Amino acid sequence: MEGVDESGTFRPMLRAGARFDPSAANKPILVFQDVHKAYKADAPVLRGMNLGIERGEFVFFTGPSGAGKSTLLRLLYAEESLDSGRILFMGREVGRLTPEAIPFLRRNIGVVFQDFKLVENWSVTENVALPLEVLGLPARLIRQRTGEALERVGLGGRGNDLAGTLSGGEQQRVAIARAIVGEPALVLADEPTGNLDPQLAVDILGLFEDIHDTGVTVIFATHDRSLLDIRPRRVVILQDGKTIDAPNGLEDPEELDQLQVA
Amino acid sequence: MKSWERAWRGGKNDWRLHMLSVFSVAVAFVCLAAALLVVVNIDSVRNRWASTGRISVFLKATASPDQAQKLETALRATPGVADVNFVSSRDARADIMKNGGGDLLAKLPDAAFPASLELKTVGDPTGEELKTLAARVESLPAVESIETYSGWTQKLGNLLTGGVTAAVLLALVVFGAVVSVVGSTMRLTLQRRRIEVEVLKLVGATDAYVRRPFVVEGAAQGALGASLAIALLGVLYAIVTQRLDGELALLVGASPTFLPWTFVLGTVATGAALGASAAYVSLRRLLVV
Repeated sequence: MEGVDESGTFRPMLRAGARFDPSAANKPILVFQDVHKAYKADAPVLRGMNLGIERGEFVFFTGPSGAGKSTLLRLLYAEESLDSGRILFMGREVGRLTPEAIPFLRRNIGVVFQDFKLVENWSVTENVALPLEVLGLPARLIRQRTGEALERVGLGGRGNDLAGTLSGGEQQRVAIARAIVGEPALVLADEPTGNLDPQLAVDILGLFEDIHDTGVTVIFATHDRSLLDIRPRRVVILQDGKTIDAPNGLEDPEELDQLQVA
Repeated sequence: MKSWERAWRGGKNDWRLHMLSVFSVAVAFVCLAAALLVVVNIDSVRNRWASTGRISVFLKATASPDQAQKLETALRATPGVADVNFVSSRDARADIMKNGGGDLLAKLPDAAFPASLELKTVGDPTGEELKTLAARVESLPAVESIETYSGWTQKLGNLLTGGVTAAVLLALVVFGAVVSVVGSTMRLTLQRRRIEVEVLKLVGATDAYVRRPFVVEGAAQGALGASLAIALLGVLYAIVTQRLDGELALLVGASPTFLPWTFVLGTVATGAALGASAAYVSLRRLLVV
């Protein structure tokens, strides 16, 4: 249940239902077990995918266009449903959540898109405050938390600007602020640098790394190989509906050789 | 942020669309309110004439005051008659002038208005009983004619039934129109605010949370549309009565009245409820988590 603790920090959580498993705190935050998904019967996107992601990890999902990166993320926040298999997020099976429980799942996940998905005729503050308004927090706390989130993404003092008047890089920063303002356990970034020039893309990646440094699990889906080479991070390559896991990134020559063989 | 604040923010951004919707709802409601106005006035006229157990006994022009006095006494003694009131030619004239007689009638002499004896019967007699009593009274000397008003009341009653039926049918048409207009507006609004809805759901808003401001907007559209309709009808009513008040009063024997405030409030409340329901139903089908 969501709430504000004694220090005034807001901690969103999934509601502890009948199937809540407390030991999940010691398990990976995210587990994919034999996940299958197909939009057309003869062209499956995911074919028995297995993967585990620990709390506080930074993982790149990569692969060619159409490999299923976005599908995988949509399955995670229950925008799409699985054909078979299981996805466990914080010990709860996403595929078995009732429609009423899905909003509570989403309050624990921040999502950033390539096309920002901002309401352009709203101010920056209004856009960022949305997740907190949904939670019904007091206006004073919303203002404070929104201001902090904007500071974190380098947009302090820009709160009154209309979102539609900002540059692409700034709009993506607003989207990131919106994704982190609720202090989610997991942040998903679906090609967040796809619409940005290379330098801005690196800046945005740096922002996600800052977020990750605060202990948040980050999944960053991209097909931009240059970003994967900046720092050695775990890379999960989606290919032919399955995953190839490179725990130390693509800079390790040995691992790269193995991947190329695969 | 409260639902109405979110509705206000959304409505402000799409105000042209909302105004169009409010105007369309108003057009539909004007028809209903006009029908209600007619019904209310027919009912008022019927009530004016349908005071049951009333008989006007018109005296012959040649009847002397003495004859009238004797007749009054005789009528008071007649079984079934509760009260008798003599209305002289002058009183009859004054009564008609009070109800908007106009210049033409004002020029007529008192003699043009026949004197009468206004009878009130005991209890609430049936049409047949009234007819029997009238036949008995008509046979008395100095009586020119008898008016029991039952035929007139009957006609007005039929007219009222027709008016109510027409109003009910119109109400159904209006309900359909409002549901259709508000529903379409909501679908358009939803389409225009697709990103907002998408983001709301993405950050964990429940369907009810997403739907609420749209329902508030629907209610506001319905209420504003109904209010605008009442205001338009009020203006039309004022114009018509200003020009025809006297003639109407002379024709039907009662001055026209506007819709009572309970009807006005009821119409606005119906508009709000219809708008909210239409928005709720149309969004229920379109919003799925």
